[in-house]
Amino acid sequence: MEEMKAKPAVPLPTLGETNDLGKPWRWEEDGCTVTRSAPWSPPGCHPVGCGVKLYVDENGKLVKVEGDENQQITQGRLCVRCLTLRDFVYNPSRIIHPMKRDPKYRGQADKWEQCTWEEALDIIEENYRRITAEYGCESVVFFVGTGREGGTLGPYGTYMLRSPNMCYTQSGYACYVPRMAAAAYNLGSPYPEIDYAGGLPGRYDDPAFVNPECIMIWGKAPLASNPDGFFGHAVVDMMRRGARLIVVDPRITWLSSRADYHLALRAGTDTALAMAMLDTIIREDLYDHDFVEYWCYGFEQLAERVATMPAEKAGEICGIDPEYIKDAARMYANAKPASLQWGLAFDQKANGMQLSHSAICLMAITGNIDVPGGQILGNASSGQNETGFGFEEALGKDLISKMIGLKEYPAYANTILDAHADLTLQAMETGEPYPIKMGFFAGNNLMSCTSAEPKRWHDAMCKTLDFCFTLECFMTPSAQAVCDVFLPLATAAEEDGVDFAHYGATPVGTGFMNKALSVGECKTDMETCMIVGKRLNPQLWENYHDVYDFIDDLRLHNNHRFKDVCKEVYVQKDVEYYKYETGHLRKDGQPGFNTPTGRVELWSTMFAQFGDDPLPYYEEPQYSPLNTPELLDEYPYVLTTGARAYAFFHSENRQIPFCRELNPDPLVEINPKTAAKLGIADGQWCEVWNQFGSAKLKANVTIAVDEQTIHAQHGWWFPEDDPNEPNLYGTFRSNINNLVPNFHFGKLGFGAPFKCLLCNIKPLAENYDTDMQLVWEKFKREDQ
Amino acid sequence: MENTYGLLIDYGYCTGCQSCEVACKEEHGYPVGKWGIRVHDDGPWEIEEHMVNWNKLPFPTDLCDLCAARTAIGREPTCVHHCLANVIYYGTVAELAPKLAEKPKQVLFVPEYKPLEAKGPFEPKNKLAGRVHHAAAIAVTENENFTTSSQRSDSRTDVGIE
Repeated sequence: MEEMKAKPAVPLPTLGETNDLGKPWRWEEDGCTVTRSAPWSPPGCHPVGCGVKLYVDENGKLVKVEGDENQQITQGRLCVRCLTLRDFVYNPSRIIHPMKRDPKYRGQADKWEQCTWEEALDIIEENYRRITAEYGCESVVFFVGTGREGGTLGPYGTYMLRSPNMCYTQSGYACYVPRMAAAAYNLGSPYPEIDYAGGLPGRYDDPAFVNPECIMIWGKAPLASNPDGFFGHAVVDMMRRGARLIVVDPRITWLSSRADYHLALRAGTDTALAMAMLDTIIREDLYDHDFVEYWCYGFEQLAERVATMPAEKAGEICGIDPEYIKDAARMYANAKPASLQWGLAFDQKANGMQLSHSAICLMAITGNIDVPGGQILGNASSGQNETGFGFEEALGKDLISKMIGLKEYPAYANTILDAHADLTLQAMETGEPYPIKMGFFAGNNLMSCTSAEPKRWHDAMCKTLDFCFTLECFMTPSAQAVCDVFLPLATAAEEDGVDFAHYGATPVGTGFMNKALSVGECKTDMETCMIVGKRLNPQLWENYHDVYDFIDDLRLHNNHRFKDVCKEVYVQKDVEYYKYETGHLRKDGQPGFNTPTGRVELWSTMFAQFGDDPLPYYEEPQYSPLNTPELLDEYPYVLTTGARAYAFFHSENRQIPFCRELNPDPLVEINPKTAAKLGIADGQWCEVWNQFGSAKLKANVTIAVDEQTIHAQHGWWFPEDDPNEPNLYGTFRSNINNLVPNFHFGKLGFGAPFKCLLCNIKPLAENYDTDMQLVWEKFKREDQ
Repeated sequence: MENTYGLLIDYGYCTGCQSCEVACKEEHGYPVGKWGIRVHDDGPWEIEEHMVNWNKLPFPTDLCDLCAARTAIGREPTCVHHCLANVIYYGTVAELAPKLAEKPKQVLFVPEYKPLEAKGPFEPKNKLAGRVHHAAAIAVTENENFTTSSQRSDSRTDVGIE
């Protein structure tokens, strides 16, 4: 059993002489109770468990939020989204009581009526009984987003709704899971995160750690996104200790401006680049012969395959000088240790599984897997915390077999136990293989974010869902459009709970959320799952008397009691390197990797079994200058979307004045030469469009993108705008996903072209600038 | 040097996360449109092929009081505490100035809170005291040969005026 004992944090050199190092999880100070917590969400974020100190006065009011210097990873540092936590908690537009609305008034904001939890539960139960009696449990879909605790809370689907159809509504699950699947199948571990000494008590100065000589950051913006529980600025920490960078990104970023090599490839051509780097490393004999010989499978076949993509050929495809590609490959191969941080861009293309596989090959043949300063792996007992919890017990074989997409895309469905997104959309539109009649949104505002062709999802849901409910903090365009019951969600400051970097799949740490206050009648995801679950499927909840029983079982495997260990606030996991030698990567305890061959599979047994090519191969994006030159007259630019901003987590934070002030309007980046040619001035509103749809955004004229590339922000809606149908807070006005099609995934069902499409752009005469004074007046706290 | 406090900023590693800006607004209660520190953005622009200039620089405004309430009890300013890249240092100029030599791309700011207010209200101080020239009691007669002084005087030949 893993020890749950917090080690003291290494203080930052900037910390004042008066500080709270060594303070307990809770103490009294100047009339306030100070509670230390390691939150996940809301506000939506990845499960980093950044340390916060929550100051609550004698009236139970949150009066101050500060970064907790006792948190071993973040050391007191905090981003704007938790610095404004009070503005989120006490936002005047936050909904803190349950509400109901007659389905015939969907889309009408003034038709909501406040109700009690009991009444809301009655309505949910009545609809659930009626609908499941007629159409079966499979007709109920749990629609999830990302970043909220609820967005990955499998038990919502299994224990609460008893439905096999948990559905992340992004086409081809184009986020995280494709990478995870490629890693689980070929590396035998769900996520090879870069080592940032997260689990080590001495952090970067711990004797077990080696600072990487080179970090290759590929298709990722870790600083702003803190992806999947990785504390983004750890990259800066390691740069300051000497790590050099290679950045692969179509855009110039702050990180690329500090990189030895910035491989500014044409969006979507990454797999060609990765294969060329592999070819260079193999051709020039820069690979780790011992690791390849003893721990890899299929090297000869890989070498033969990547020889078909020499740097000269990739250079032409990617638009990069071949010598520059080779130089970067040499730097990565010669650096010891070197780490490779792969990003969301891997998932947002149909060819992404081959890219992920290629990246695993790069990590493996350079000998950087499970070594200090390289890629760290979880051990045999780690994995995603929720995935699979209660799955077979709650659903049974018959219901499981009805999961949408299980037969068509088993690589997808079996990895994450999710219904296939695009096929779920199709089921809603056609009633095939069966009708979808009831929905539940958890951490999902799909009509502003997540979904491709959001209006299509909107129309399908409006048409088919007899009943839909949500658990949320704010009214969203999606809830306004189709929900009939709205349950109020607690923020992380109001929650007892647990979070893990990478949802438990990586050896970094476990964070405990400690409830510091209550607001209205808000409940957490865990509480709601249990309360609703006890109503709908009481037989599955008999062992849980209160939410702590549920937390202890789900989050702590009943090895610990939350009430005992929560006082530790954040506990680093023990780090063990070279586990493939000790047998700690495999359930059978044997040396090697948890793959069919026991080795890192450069030739993929599982890809072959699923009917795909077992070796990496390159495919052009479906719409691209090389693949569809005939479209270039109409759509001459390459469109990439969704680069992260510090101000927002996807579609959240738009009603938080200090966040919105940092980025008041949706921005589209365009090169100065392209802008001049089209008559677009910096700051001018533009229309971006292609064969699938259009969106209005404000021009940011910058060399961050080259002359052929357009980059657009994602997740935009306007909480200050008209809430009613058809406007729905302007959610379809600036939504770049209007331009992104569904059903453009790869052979295994994964991926969608969010980052590699074609488009055109033109200036508009209208001005849609956000009035920040209006936002301030509407959304500031009462005491501001 | 010993009594003057400032902020040393290692702008080589400032990523532009703007935590300093927002932490400051929350600490001081500055509304939308007011700031105690702002991150200035120079870039990206190309120096030469494969070399880009992009620097972010947190710049204390005239509303920066170096977190007087926090520093009075020995805590560091809130921007220092929350900076994600940990590039802001607080201290006396005597402590911080030598750090400037440790690495390039750093600046040392000594901000002033509301400098106009710091000057205090305007108080007339008769700087000429003791040397005051008093108006003399001399009789003045009418000017019968008036010509406009707006024209050049070398001729004084009544151009256009009888």
